[in-house]
Amino acid sequence: MTLLQVDHLRTAYGVVVVHRDVSLTVDQDEIVTILGPNGAGKSTLLRAISGLLRPKNGIIRFDGKDVTGLPADRMAGIGVVMVPEGRRIFPDLTVLENLRLGAYCRKEGDAIEADIRLMESYFDVLSTKRNAKGGELSGGQQQMLAIARGLMARPRVLLLDEPSLGLSPMLIKQVRSVINDVRTKFSAAVLLVEQNAGLALAVADRGYLLQYGQIVASGPIAALRDHRLMHELYLGQGRGAR
Amino acid sequence: MEIFIQQLVNSLSVASVTILIGIGITLIFGLAGIVNFAHGEFLMVGGMITWFLVTSGLNFFLALVGAMIFVGVLGFIAERGLFRFTLEQPMNGFIMSIGVSVILQHVVIRVFNEVQKTIPDPIGKVWVVGGIDIIAMRAIVVLLTAVVVATTYFGISRSRYGIALRASIADQDTAALMGIPVRRYVTGVFVYGSVLAGLGGALMIALFPITPFTGSVVIIRGFAVSLIGGLGNVGGAVAGGLILGLVDGLSAGYGSPEWTDAYSLVVMIVILIVRPQGLLGGTLGPRAT
Repeated sequence: MTLLQVDHLRTAYGVVVVHRDVSLTVDQDEIVTILGPNGAGKSTLLRAISGLLRPKNGIIRFDGKDVTGLPADRMAGIGVVMVPEGRRIFPDLTVLENLRLGAYCRKEGDAIEADIRLMESYFDVLSTKRNAKGGELSGGQQQMLAIARGLMARPRVLLLDEPSLGLSPMLIKQVRSVINDVRTKFSAAVLLVEQNAGLALAVADRGYLLQYGQIVASGPIAALRDHRLMHELYLGQGRGAR
Repeated sequence: MEIFIQQLVNSLSVASVTILIGIGITLIFGLAGIVNFAHGEFLMVGGMITWFLVTSGLNFFLALVGAMIFVGVLGFIAERGLFRFTLEQPMNGFIMSIGVSVILQHVVIRVFNEVQKTIPDPIGKVWVVGGIDIIAMRAIVVLLTAVVVATTYFGISRSRYGIALRASIADQDTAALMGIPVRRYVTGVFVYGSVLAGLGGALMIALFPITPFTGSVVIIRGFAVSLIGGLGNVGGAVAGGLILGLVDGLSAGYGSPEWTDAYSLVVMIVILIVRPQGLLGGTLGPRAT
């Protein structure tokens, strides 16, 4: 069943057009990746879907409803949650406060506390650091906190923007298993933007190849892997994280 | 010693008014990047409303509540009707606020007049504490401000809304991704700051005469304390207010009183050059992405 559907999306920063006509879908229980070189418009696409950037044209549907132009706080409320590039942990708030903010749009206090314990048991580093300031964590710990904070909203689709950025191969492996668990343990679909093609190819079911703001190829991940452009884009990069 | 203590209470009562306006300025700028020069006029209007209600026969403390409500509504209208539209162009908002401040001055002159207004001391008592005479109203001003500061501080550091507010000040986009309605927080903070300006005006007229032009003096001091402490930082505004208040009071008592304003502004300038982010660290305004 289609959970998220983007049709003929057009985005721009001022007069600079980023996407002219982009369409994609994410099904329930699916991990979908958007691949492409720097500046292809991958992050902007996620910003538009998450509500941070208002699309100029096109339709975004979530769970069958037209949600085009809803601001980010409303999108989070209905279950479309983004973990932004660079983690963006609130540096002066504690780990616990960061987690609790992730559940801002939820009302049930007991369930939120239960989810905090769930996150702390799943990401064990968070329980030992619960009262540390977010800014004191290492890059890898911050990435785990950022994903956990996103999951605290109980999203139905989690948008992940470059979760492997700046992480060591060891940690990238961990991110990979976390992404798998987002689907199985936290029952959310994933839309993943990655520079690290190895990671993306390893976890995703399906993918879109974005270049100059346009989708140049799409399909099951096995078919994309051998796409002519993939070799040009990621020559020598794909093996590292696999 | 007795004179020193009395001087101290006097300084603290002056500092209180500055702190009340500084908290509003620092929160409104820290969250929304709005430099609202009409905030001083909000205080002046609060004082005028208090004067009007008291001279109409109302009890001072009821008049004070009336002033807070009136200025709170004024702030709501200003935010929803004006500043909301300049959020993306802070410089336009700043220029607009100067216009609003002049308009408010003239509305007050038109409705009342340009003559300075006073009310009789609402308490009219002198408390003797440890053998030292202290004017009761001044002590009450300090106590009320302390309560407001403590409530604001704990609200911001402990409550769910306060934490969401700090997150929004640190990073608006990411706060929105958590489902925090940042725009509504901007309105809330603007109204809260306005209510505190109304309270500041009521307390000020209980101590000093107020004219329609009082706001333009107060606003400079309000920005001074916010900048000294670090914009967006409530604790910083309080520290800044205390520093400025003490410099004021002590220079008036022991230095040359005619230089009082200059001393405090020199302190502000020095701190801004040596520590541009303020004493306790603040924001440079909402993070642009």
